[in-house]
Amino acid sequence: MITVHAQYQARFREITQVERESFELETPRVAELATRLTGKYGPTMQALLMDADGENLNTRGTLYLNSRGERVFIEDPLYDGDTIYFMVGIAGG
Amino acid sequence: MESRLLHVNLTTGELRVEQLPHAMFERWIGGSGINNWIMWEHFLKHDINCDPRSPDNIFVFGVGPLAGTGSGSGIKGRITFKSPCYGIFGDSAAGGKFPYMVRFAGFDHIAITGKAPRPVYLYLCDGHADIRDATHLWGKNTAETHTALNTELGDYPSHVHTLTIGQAGEHQVGIAAVVSDASRIHARGGGGCVMGSKNLKAIAVQGSGGVRVANPAGMLKWSREFRASIDRNEAIYGFKRRGTLGAVEMYQHIGSHFWRNNQGNMFRGDEVRSDNWVKKYHKYSEVCSADCFIACDGRYKIDGSESEKAQKYVGETFRRPEYLTTGSAAGALDLRDWAEVAHWGKITNDYGIDNQDLSCAISFIMEVNQHGLLSERDIGELFGRAQSLEWGNMEDVETLMADIVYRRNLFGELFHDGPYWGALRYSARTGRNFMKYSIYGKGGASFTEEMRPFPTWMNNMAVASRGADHLKGIGLIEKFQRRDLSKRYFNGRLEAADLSTPVLKGACTALVENQVALINSYGVCLFHWMLDPTGYAPEEYYGRAFAEVTGIDRTPEELMRDGERICNLEKAFNSRLGLRREHDTICERWMFEPTTEGMYPGRVAADMFETVLDEYYEWRGWERDTGLQTASRLESLGMGDVAEVLAADGALARG
Repeated sequence: MITVHAQYQARFREITQVERESFELETPRVAELATRLTGKYGPTMQALLMDADGENLNTRGTLYLNSRGERVFIEDPLYDGDTIYFMVGIAGG
Repeated sequence: MESRLLHVNLTTGELRVEQLPHAMFERWIGGSGINNWIMWEHFLKHDINCDPRSPDNIFVFGVGPLAGTGSGSGIKGRITFKSPCYGIFGDSAAGGKFPYMVRFAGFDHIAITGKAPRPVYLYLCDGHADIRDATHLWGKNTAETHTALNTELGDYPSHVHTLTIGQAGEHQVGIAAVVSDASRIHARGGGGCVMGSKNLKAIAVQGSGGVRVANPAGMLKWSREFRASIDRNEAIYGFKRRGTLGAVEMYQHIGSHFWRNNQGNMFRGDEVRSDNWVKKYHKYSEVCSADCFIACDGRYKIDGSESEKAQKYVGETFRRPEYLTTGSAAGALDLRDWAEVAHWGKITNDYGIDNQDLSCAISFIMEVNQHGLLSERDIGELFGRAQSLEWGNMEDVETLMADIVYRRNLFGELFHDGPYWGALRYSARTGRNFMKYSIYGKGGASFTEEMRPFPTWMNNMAVASRGADHLKGIGLIEKFQRRDLSKRYFNGRLEAADLSTPVLKGACTALVENQVALINSYGVCLFHWMLDPTGYAPEEYYGRAFAEVTGIDRTPEELMRDGERICNLEKAFNSRLGLRREHDTICERWMFEPTTEGMYPGRVAADMFETVLDEYYEWRGWERDTGLQTASRLESLGMGDVAEVLAADGALARG
């Protein structure tokens, strides 16, 4: 069992209504964290977090980074105490 | 595919319509690709070394084949010219309603040469064109000009859509922009200066026609699928509400802002780094074009309750600032109130001036002053008055902006071509070297984002055909660490997405430049590209739409070669002007001063720069030592005719 933290920005924060929360995971994988998030927040989170096929994280207009500044993918491991930052953004103009 | 090019000679008043052959689309796709070819051919008959403000320069407007088709993505118009501020290839895109209305009026491209004897505007309506007096519009800002033309021309056979210049273009400020419908801005490279130099105040268009597509049923099917994919993605709902401002928090986390002339990379004010503007200012989202399914545009109205400083701007309504407008105001200039940021965006649009170059020019002089390098005498000489140069002071910013827009003192004269030329001129004038405070790539002002942790972006800034640029080869694979795309495009390899190595960064620059060239030639908005269901694969996704519209059915590999061909023509233009490897460079700060904050501290470009550039030339098939193109590569792209021109100019690699 590990503890990971989720930090939310923008649209993620609007859905969760909190800036940060923690999860205890039995399987130390991003996939389990994603399952917990979609289970807790429902189809709106599913449509934001996951691709249309529901098997991979949504890469269109989103960025998910761990505490070391590395992007995480669905198959990646998580470590006890990790913080995953869930961000939405396209810059430019 | 039917397409009409309108030739306009403002010196003689001659107007001539040319039917573009289908082969033009086979070779150059449309949009920026065809614009580039029109300019290339023009400078085979005119001196390419001409003063960009002279009648010999050309100003081309063009749309891509998806414009006005209802595809949901073909919203961009493009202007192309020899840049007056950088002296090299210049172009700039903007979305909005003007591009498709040009097609509805019966044209796809407009090529304007010469110089009118007095201020004029060009009027297009349902297959006809004429040149009209604009003396009454001269002196008006872009919003006033747009309103005046709407009043003058009425609502039949359609609303009036415009391209206009403001006071900056009229005064031939090198970094002057062209503004579409008083809100969408062709900012980069000085297109507004070229229009001003030709006494061309505006182009106004009305149209009631349509656009023929090769396969209407196929186009409709593609369009419906695209719409469904957009609607399924909840991130796009967030994008509708925030537009590019959604990136403010993300960049604050990464450390990717551009603070005080890039002395730092985090915003300082609590207000500007928050998401508060959504709650306080956002009134509604809107589409910039009938051809857009996303609607990332939004409207502000300031009622004065938002902050103490907002009371100064009560009643102002305007487009929501884009990220880079915010990057220039809240970052480069350290303005910390949202109302000031929004007001900055509005007045730069009204004057018609590129807020990236402008903010870098102003922040340059503020930093020089910050280091105690300007005496009272220096300030008196530059400004002709006592002048405060205080970071975050909106009053100072507005005054310095007007100095440049009206070129009304020495500062305005030195810096109206942006921070690179401004710093060079000021250094030469004073005999002191100020170049370390000028933030640029290839002579173009920085885009107001932190670049140093990202080697592909650093390379983009050095090699982009129009000077420092992320819009010619945006390094998303690396910045967003897309291992999936690195694997897809580089035979399973991951290094293109790894920030810690130079490997595949030059290759990645070349790859994405080719993709962006395609997007720009289709006339598709880059935001649509970033949100497409195949995940940044325009050669696959938009290639299908291109086939339905034009009947030109290409494989993704063939389309990537089309993109490469378009990039090579831009490169050839600059090679004819004498640009070589030594011009593919970046400023001293990026090269040698390490980042001190954000998620990636301690990064300098010099660690990887030359390695990445070598790899870029290798992937491009260009000569490493000179950066010049080779005959063999150009011939393999079907550009033997271009190679002959370069050879005659001594601008082709000898090997």
